[in-house]
Amino acid sequence: MQEGSCQDNGSHTRDHAAPEGGAGSSVPDAPMSAELAPAARAPLYAARDLNRCSGLLALSVLLDSSVEHYRGNFHNKAMYTPLSVSTLSLAASVHGVTGRRPLGHKTRLAVFALAIVTGVAGTLFHVYDIIRKPGGFSWQNLFYSAPLGAPSALTVAGLTGFFAERVRRGQTQVFGQDAARLAAITSAVAMVGTTAEAGLLHFRGAFHNPFMFLPVAMPPIAAGFLAYAGITTPRTAYPFTRRLLTATSLMGLAGTAFHVYGVSRAMGGWRNWQQNMVDGPPIPAPPSFSALAFAGIAALRLLGAKAPNGPERLGATKTGATGAVPRA
Amino acid sequence: MHRALISPYTNYDVLEKRDSLSWNDATRRAIAKRLSIPRVPRFFSERQWQTLDAVCRRILPQADDRPPIPIAALLDATLLIDDTQGFRTDPLPYDQDAWRLGLKALDIEAQAIYGAAFHVLPPSTQDGLLSRAQGGDLHHPAWQPMTAQLFFEKRILVDIPAMYYSHPTSWSEIGFGGPASPRGYVRMELNRRDPWEAIETSAPRIQEDPYAR
Amino acid sequence: MPVDFDSRPRAVAGRAPDVFDPKGGFVPMRSYDEDEAVDFVIVGTGAGGGTLAARLAELGFSVVAFDAGPFFRPLLDFASDETAQNSLYWTDKRVCDGENPIKMGGNNSGKAVGGSTVHFAMVSLRFRPEWFKSRSALGYGADWPLDWREMWHYYTVAERALAIAGPVHYPWGPKRPRYPYRAHEINAAGRLLAQGCEALGYRWAETPLATVSAPRGKSPPCVYRGFCRFGCSTNAKQSALTVWIPRALKAGAEIRDLAMVGRIEVDDQGLARGVHYVREGKWRFQRARHVVISAYAIETPRLLLNSATDRFPQGLANSSGLVGRNLMTQSNQAAWGRMEDQVRWYKGPPSLTITEHWNYEDRGKDFFGGYCWMGQGPMPIEWVSVQTGARGLWGERLRTEMMDYNHQIGVKMVGEMLPDEANRVTLDSDTDQYGLPIPRITYRWGDNDKRLIKHALDQMMMSLDSVGATKLFRQEDDTNHLAGTARMGFTPETSVVDADCRSWDIPNLWICDGSVFPTTGGVNPALTIQAIALRTADRIKALAIRGEL
Ligand SMILES: Cc1cc2nc3c(=O)[nH]c(=O)nc-3n(C[C@H](O)[C@H](O)[C@H](O)COP(=O)(O)OP(=O)(O)OC[C@H]3O[C@@H](n4cnc5c(N)ncnc54)[C@H](O)[C@@H]3O)c2cc1C
Ligand code: SF4
Repeated sequence: MQEGSCQDNGSHTRDHAAPEGGAGSSVPDAPMSAELAPAARAPLYAARDLNRCSGLLALSVLLDSSVEHYRGNFHNKAMYTPLSVSTLSLAASVHGVTGRRPLGHKTRLAVFALAIVTGVAGTLFHVYDIIRKPGGFSWQNLFYSAPLGAPSALTVAGLTGFFAERVRRGQTQVFGQDAARLAAITSAVAMVGTTAEAGLLHFRGAFHNPFMFLPVAMPPIAAGFLAYAGITTPRTAYPFTRRLLTATSLMGLAGTAFHVYGVSRAMGGWRNWQQNMVDGPPIPAPPSFSALAFAGIAALRLLGAKAPNGPERLGATKTGATGAVPRA
Repeated sequence: MHRALISPYTNYDVLEKRDSLSWNDATRRAIAKRLSIPRVPRFFSERQWQTLDAVCRRILPQADDRPPIPIAALLDATLLIDDTQGFRTDPLPYDQDAWRLGLKALDIEAQAIYGAAFHVLPPSTQDGLLSRAQGGDLHHPAWQPMTAQLFFEKRILVDIPAMYYSHPTSWSEIGFGGPASPRGYVRMELNRRDPWEAIETSAPRIQEDPYAR
Repeated sequence: MPVDFDSRPRAVAGRAPDVFDPKGGFVPMRSYDEDEAVDFVIVGTGAGGGTLAARLAELGFSVVAFDAGPFFRPLLDFASDETAQNSLYWTDKRVCDGENPIKMGGNNSGKAVGGSTVHFAMVSLRFRPEWFKSRSALGYGADWPLDWREMWHYYTVAERALAIAGPVHYPWGPKRPRYPYRAHEINAAGRLLAQGCEALGYRWAETPLATVSAPRGKSPPCVYRGFCRFGCSTNAKQSALTVWIPRALKAGAEIRDLAMVGRIEVDDQGLARGVHYVREGKWRFQRARHVVISAYAIETPRLLLNSATDRFPQGLANSSGLVGRNLMTQSNQAAWGRMEDQVRWYKGPPSLTITEHWNYEDRGKDFFGGYCWMGQGPMPIEWVSVQTGARGLWGERLRTEMMDYNHQIGVKMVGEMLPDEANRVTLDSDTDQYGLPIPRITYRWGDNDKRLIKHALDQMMMSLDSVGATKLFRQEDDTNHLAGTARMGFTPETSVVDADCRSWDIPNLWICDGSVFPTTGGVNPALTIQAIALRTADRIKALAIRGEL
């Protein structure tokens, strides 16, 4: 990560007045400077939200690929790539979260683009690893060879960061599509992909604990509502979808705890971490659900900002019941 | 004349894992006992021991650059406490009797053919006698009720290698992972190695093999 | 006798070892009085006896199960060592003879609570359905009095009870339900077998194994340490010791370890009264309404023969003269070779992949029966015995060849041998440490057996050749697994027990283990033994309800 690129250097920007804390916390509107209307600040908050997600995803990829590629003895030098690229994305995301200017940043953008490409290349590598083995696309190889879904997490991290850059600059279009919708749909699709991965691995684990069904059952529902939000007319608020996403993110954290427990009950427990961290349930995996759920919540906020009634948080306080929010 | 055999795992010593997670207490106890085996005959007589020791040197010649594996002592202890497989195959007697009888017979053959005890013969002569036993070409009545060939195939070629390869030194030599509990292995693929496995530093010697295709 | 293990019984005074407790705790155990005639005495606690003890106790019968071997605590007692684990095996005196004498000891049977399943290789396969009718459907051996569809049901029950880890789709035979646990990751040796099969155009599969690929109760997942045949020190293995015995204890059965049954007593009406057994150096007697022998194919006939009385001078249940006859082992030959790559076959359970091609393909065979082959991962002592046994190597050549250990691969068959009355267990004049006549085991391969072995060796050599292995050689002489000697059948003249494992001659004497097999099939026997035991328990319950016990 290059320090202090020209855009940052000493430039006084409008967001100096912006309060600390992410958009996730309901920031009181009163003390905001008059220059920037709340509706105009929403993109910045959302961008930083998205950066949080891209960062968390990158962290999850970093940890996961370190463990998995360590397991693979780094037999191919290319196996170091996801480690460095995810580290870069993580740094770019942190930079994005801490940066308060509603401007894009070329280096960040480049890093996120690199992450997108690396993820795609990684997926191809992993496909190759599977088809070269006897049995090809068999359960055995899907279970135990290079995990197909893992590299795409880096792509999603890159995409999320990329959206953040666009959104931050106040652009409402990405790839000719509406950024808010795209963010919602991307998170939804990624969540379904992650569910598939969890499903595969939990099937490998024979669903020996009933809780293992949860990450297979809940995220697709949340993803469905999120995608629905992404394709329908924006509303001011999505309380139900939001709650589902919050629950999914909590589930991601709980999953980590379960996986920590899983490692501890394997032979030799944590003392045998060299084996059990690698063979046991992957501890860095469940937080990717949390990251995607956060991304979904950020997308909802963007959508809310686009709603005829204004930004979600305003809408929520003023006209919480107006939109025909899907309620179960 | 003694060609040194170099292990391809020159830097590997399985005993370095002794205090690691690859060994549990039951294993530590068992191996400690094996390593401290008394190197004196308790089951065999002094003379049988000398013959046995000479046979062991021919069946599994040991490296000059490390402490030898006490094959004879290990076998002596095994027979003493009867830690054998228990069965016998007609016409061989049970292991203890087969060994006593066989060593005696081998010595008698050496005396009959070369006029000297087996253990004082030059190694190449010893090899010659053992080859004749393997080929069914020794017929002194002292072998009865066994035959030299059965003794060679069912006792010498079974028990001596089993003692040698029960010793950690031999595991280091062949790059075997050795004890593995509670920690087992993670990397199962071809050409993959866990950090606690042996590193192959050179290709093992490939030698002419008349049995190969 | 190996001396390492302290030889005092552990299942005494109302408690038995808790095999899952790393601190050496106990679970409560019901105890029965010796004068109390329990519903069932079971001799042997392995695949047959362990399963039956659990099921009969769960069905409400009072059960005392005896085993001559110790009650191990795998987490505390098991070393990762080929030699030290000799204490798992039946190493009492035995004599072998015949044209192709069988190797006993660790190669063949266990002596422990849990029986041979404590050290078995966990391969858990179903018979091909036709084998239950091999005489009428395939033209050799003998028909079983069991229907394959019923067995299919009990296989399913056994697979669930043992949480077998197997492939999602098993490529041979009629449809079977999905295995409860997913297949294990296959190691390099297993991959090479698969590659060889694909080159020959045969299907292959991950071998269904009785070791868990994910946690199950108190069993952690397998750590791929590879010492399975020397006892599983993690309890990942689903043996009788970790599955059936805990269930039996929970359901109120009593287990008596280090208790060798020497004689079954028969009363004046010709009914079994109980068993004489030796424990802590003293002969004792336990009364019982029914006696089940589950001591495996050598000790079962030996016990029946050793229990001869004036009324049954040829031994118990032996009016047909078939007790001890039709002993079958399985051909266990192998092909071995060397790869340039490092295989390191000591990692993981030894037989992670399998092809059952020649069990299900009948065309192109000049022999009856079938065989499968599986990947291999011998430990050093076992491997050196192959080098000396099959190739006669010694001296520097031997040491040099052994240094290729990590490059070696191999495939090993499990092949069907046909029943032959001349292959048998008899009593020898010699006696063992209890003063009981020891078994003499006579074996000879038939011409069919030899043709099958040759076919298999040729095939296995081709498969190794096709993956680029060099320095190939054949191991011609190995056998493994036992069956027969008290076969089940349709009539008292042609068999020892009926379909329910009940002896024709003595209605309260049952035999439930590998010895009841009329034929042995081309797969490892333990799952079939357990399925038979499950069925027998259900049948006993049904008979009891009808008042026919
Ligand atoms: C090395 C090896 C690997 C194997 N691998 C496999 C495999 O992968 N898959 C498979 O299906 N099969 C395998 N087998 C075979 C399988 O273990 C046996 O077929 C099966 O366990 C036999 O079950 P059983 O109940 O008949 O006898 P066992 O399980 O042997 O049980 C008999 C028990 O009876 C006890 N007993 C005997 N006589 C007396 C007496 N007089 N008094 C008291 N107790 C007595 C013994 O101590 C023993 O515990 C393997 C066997 C060996 C040796
Ligand atoms: S490889 Fe698995 S089943 Fe075998 S001994 Fe090890 S943990 Fe047990």
